Amino acid sequence: MKFSAGSAWRRILFRHEMLLLVVLIVEWLLFLHFGTMTNRRGVTVGFGTLDRQFDILRHSCEIGLLALALTPIILTAGIDLSVASLLGLCAIVFGQLTHDVGLPLSLAIPLTLLAGGLGGAVNAGLIAGLRLPPLIVTLGTYSLFRGLAEAMTGGAVTYTQFPSGFLALGQGRWLGVPAQAWIFVGVAVGMWMLVHRSVAGRFIRVIGFAPEGAQYAGVRVGKCLTFVYVLAGLVSAAAALVYTARLGQAKADAAVGYELYAITAVVLGGTSIFGGKGSVTGTLLGVAVIAVLKNGLATLPVVIRMNSAEELSGLLTGGLLLFALVIGMLPKLLSAVCIRR
Amino acid sequence: MTFRFRTGFFLSILVPVFLAASASTVLAQGKAMIALMPKSKGNAYFISCKAGADKAAKELGVELLFDGPVDANAARQNEIVENWITLGVDAIAVAAENKEGISTVLRKAQKQGIKVLTYDADSLPDARSFFVNQATPEGIANALMDEAARLCNSTGQFAILSASLTAGNQREWQMYIEKRLAEKYPQMTLVAVRPCDDLKDRAQSEATALMSANPELKLLMAICSPAVPGAAEAVKQAGRVGSVKVIGLGLPNENRRYVKEGVTQTVVLWKTEDLGYLTVYAANALVNGTLKPGATSFKAGSLGEFAVDKDQILLGTPFLFNKTNIDDYNF
Repeated sequence: MKFSAGSAWRRILFRHEMLLLVVLIVEWLLFLHFGTMTNRRGVTVGFGTLDRQFDILRHSCEIGLLALALTPIILTAGIDLSVASLLGLCAIVFGQLTHDVGLPLSLAIPLTLLAGGLGGAVNAGLIAGLRLPPLIVTLGTYSLFRGLAEAMTGGAVTYTQFPSGFLALGQGRWLGVPAQAWIFVGVAVGMWMLVHRSVAGRFIRVIGFAPEGAQYAGVRVGKCLTFVYVLAGLVSAAAALVYTARLGQAKADAAVGYELYAITAVVLGGTSIFGGKGSVTGTLLGVAVIAVLKNGLATLPVVIRMNSAEELSGLLTGGLLLFALVIGMLPKLLSAVCIRR
Repeated sequence: MTFRFRTGFFLSILVPVFLAASASTVLAQGKAMIALMPKSKGNAYFISCKAGADKAAKELGVELLFDGPVDANAARQNEIVENWITLGVDAIAVAAENKEGISTVLRKAQKQGIKVLTYDADSLPDARSFFVNQATPEGIANALMDEAARLCNSTGQFAILSASLTAGNQREWQMYIEKRLAEKYPQMTLVAVRPCDDLKDRAQSEATALMSANPELKLLMAICSPAVPGAAEAVKQAGRVGSVKVIGLGLPNENRRYVKEGVTQTVVLWKTEDLGYLTVYAANALVNGTLKPGATSFKAGSLGEFAVDKDQILLGTPFLFNKTNIDDYNF
């Protein structure tokens, strides 16, 4: 980008994150305007109510967690398509541990996280150990983890009736805000520290820019890659617990398709799919833009009456992502045109 | 410059959406709005329910919403109900994918004064006023047993193919079938009940085994839907078409070929269009107060009177699909 050098405020203003923030505020204000009304039953419903904001937060926590897990992976120019399948598998593991084995939560929760870590370790072993391409490896584990979850339950068993203390994690509030938001914030801060304030974070980016170069520069590439994929497994397991607590049920089809929403959020957030470039803040904004768009659209009367809120939000999310990509390319395209002239 | 250009781009996506949305702040009053949810939107069974529901909505002059998950997804059902609560519809009727899963949000709807009912698959009883029940276990069992007796002239051997020997609904149907058999058809004998794990292939091999073990067998009765075409295929391959009759509980489309070839005599189910029609009439009656808890009967347009048993509205006796009428139905 060609801005007058040395002008710090300009650099901040023109960043991708700033642009996303503007989009977020604009869409929020528009939904506030058109989504606030007295409904047919005389009940005032508002997009701007605190309850609605909490609703959006609740619904975006699992995708948000997966997107956070994916950010360092994509920064290494990798990908993990298996996160949502692992979420489903962990939900079933948790259901079986609490219901069939009869373990107390104090044991079932750490064991579920361990299962997530193990799932991540399978990816890590194949990607970091054998140096297989992440896209192919996680495409395999994407089917493997989901298949395992289905096999463990015959695809039919649904675990319900969890203790109310556990359900509070997904449906209750801690200190006034949805309980799972604390986990989300915790993971977000942790990821931000990792990516932007640690040596490991610098290595992660270096790997994304030039894996060969990183190796020669003394970065322990294998170790770094293992770390990010195992971490993604752990975060997926945490997302599984939040998901199960929110819906009060664990079933093999939990969170089907969430990996695509999560990748969308990361890329929309400005992280380059080719690695090296991106930020945790961008991912968080990407998650927020998608979550607000989904919820705002789904609750507009005109959309509900079209009987196809799901399809429309998919359409617009996809459209938004493509626009973001094209706009990201614009400066390059423009300068290319200028040079040719 | 670049900045303004970019933001403009984003705005240009959002603005048309909101222009469309702005029309919505003026909400239709007066005309009742009834929301109907299938287990999944693309399922032919529910599409034919919708055809009946549309007809009822037109007759009653109510606005009908019909939305559900693209695949049978319990979590997505909850989200759609939430949205209907936001819109403030007058009545919600749901075919529940997950009994417990849907109940919390249905209770929330009731709290806001929205009338709630279920059809096809029930929620927990306290989460709705009425369940429009397409068929009672006894009704299904009697229809199957009576049809079997009719085809066998009330004498001879028959066998049952079930999904599993432990599944609740299968055991219940079997129990009522045996009760009906003992009460009305003393000349008939049930020689075996074999499970097929809800698999067509397994049903086929079980049916083949049953026929060779019982040469006198006159009829195969399949009480889970994959077993009906499975049994028919076995009879066809054994060259016993006609001498061993096949009946069962299933969808017309899965069995059309065998019914037309004369392998399967009768498929027992209910008219799904009537189920949708009745559900919308019941929802409308709840909204305008003509149907209240405690009612014993209820009139639904051109279909006439329906019995109400406590909190269940009964669609009535199952319907028999056979060679002469199966082409009138597509689900």
